[in-house]
Amino acid sequence: MGMRWAMLGRGRLYFWLLTLPAVLYVVTWRLAPALYTVWLSLTQYNIVYDNLPRWNQFANFGRIMHDRGLGGSLFLSVEFALIATAAELVIGLAAALFFDTDPPGRNLLLGIFLLPMIMVPVVVGTVWSTLFDRTVGPIPYAFQLLHGPTIQWLATPATAMFALLIADAWEWAPLVTLLLFAALQVIPREQFEAARVDGASGWQLFRRITLPQIAGMVLVAAGLRMMDAFLELDKVFVMTGGGPGTSTQFVSMFVYKQAFQFYELGYASAVIIVVLILLAVAYGIYLRSSGRAFRLASP
Amino acid sequence: MKGARGRRWRHLVGIALVLAWTLPPFLYLVMLSIKPERILIDRSQVFFWPTFERYRDLIGSGLGLPIWNSLVTSTLGSVGTLVLAGLAALTFSFLEFKWKTLLFLVILLPRMFPPVTTLIPIQLMLKTMGLIDTRLALIILFTGFQIPLAIWVLRTFLDDIPRELTESAALDGASLPVIIAKVILPLSGAGLLAAFILSFIFNWNEFLFPLIVTSFNARTGSVAIMSFTAGYKKLQWGTLATLGVVMTIPVILFVLAFRATLVRGFTAGALKG
Repeated sequence: MGMRWAMLGRGRLYFWLLTLPAVLYVVTWRLAPALYTVWLSLTQYNIVYDNLPRWNQFANFGRIMHDRGLGGSLFLSVEFALIATAAELVIGLAAALFFDTDPPGRNLLLGIFLLPMIMVPVVVGTVWSTLFDRTVGPIPYAFQLLHGPTIQWLATPATAMFALLIADAWEWAPLVTLLLFAALQVIPREQFEAARVDGASGWQLFRRITLPQIAGMVLVAAGLRMMDAFLELDKVFVMTGGGPGTSTQFVSMFVYKQAFQFYELGYASAVIIVVLILLAVAYGIYLRSSGRAFRLASP
Repeated sequence: MKGARGRRWRHLVGIALVLAWTLPPFLYLVMLSIKPERILIDRSQVFFWPTFERYRDLIGSGLGLPIWNSLVTSTLGSVGTLVLAGLAALTFSFLEFKWKTLLFLVILLPRMFPPVTTLIPIQLMLKTMGLIDTRLALIILFTGFQIPLAIWVLRTFLDDIPRELTESAALDGASLPVIIAKVILPLSGAGLLAAFILSFIFNWNEFLFPLIVTSFNARTGSVAIMSFTAGYKKLQWGTLATLGVVMTIPVILFVLAFRATLVRGFTAGALKG
């Protein structure tokens, strides 16, 4: 696949011309800022009160240890990520299995099903804000008609979380479906035919043939969704703003408020670094255990 | 129920479920946008003469600018991405060189840390450069954001170009720019399209960076939507719904027009992301 330099004449020059712009760009606008965040995390820098960042070593990290608000946010984010991912895996898998049965108009249907995932996330938040709203929302209206309890969906802690979870499932189950559908399509049909001839039931077909072959992709989808749901911001911003109180203040919201409401840039940077480290550790554990699960699942 | 008729039934039920899950929430937003203001909160009124005045008013109102900003920054950002990523993807696909994997990792590394990581430094950088609240700043940022994804997608498509074509052109003495222009470019239409659409959609959906980096002049549609979540604007559901629908139109158009290309690009990008 590779071409020799000699064939291209003046090869080295062309190489640099081709890759340098992209590399420079990425380094300037993605990598360098990330390193700057690391540096900022070791400073005290309140943009209102401090003229310049003041080096304070690990004081920010010490403060993080005692920050109950951060602990609460971390817990909420994990809780949200776990429940959302579980729901999306179930719903996404069900939809993927359905699409795998090749219904008529499948491509168009799949395109429609993917709409929530491609929509602007703040619009998804808007959609569900309207659905749950006291004055224009059909959901409270339905409760009203059925003489159910009057719930302030987005103003009560428990129901606010529930509303966010539903919105997230609606938005992202299609991604799981997309991934699992791709995995399902690769399974050779003969395996099902042969097993059916041997008298296998639908459930057995699923458990013995389908499941092992999509297990890898299930893990990939779960990993993707867990990380993205953990860092969820757009919908929360629009639907609850972190409230009521701090009951839906996920990690990203916490960081946003630290940096842009309290103007504590140094502290916010430290929080970001800590969150990144936690994510990296979690990702490492995920890679290790999915590798192990793989070896166990293979016959 | 087994057999063909049972399967037909199951298909119908499945189709109905999929549509019932996906469409109603969005359709409700559409309905709100064309419902006359007087009966907006009267949820029992499901049938009514639709009014399109909100759409007419949208352009003239202060909301026309954010939509325009979204359009301009998303498009130009994607173009920038295509140029930079396209050149780089050429090397990754066609050439063998010593530091290939390392370079690839350097490009992919930014995808591994979440956007919040660079938020604060970028705001400080832009402030120093005097680029706060400019469309140019957003275009610069958007170009950079999608480079890793675009390189990946473009490389996948470039890998499909038969090497005999490029090699025979090289053997005939063509220089690299000529090979690119005459052989590679004509054959990479699908890849460029997929990469453009994907990066456009991601740029269009951007919220956090435009929020932080712009205020009045350059704010995008997504930021404008957020302004409806507080104060008196919170009650303008009709206008908010209209804005939401308008922000969704490009996405719908792209998906309907380029389903197959998109699915291919998305799976490639999502799998490695």
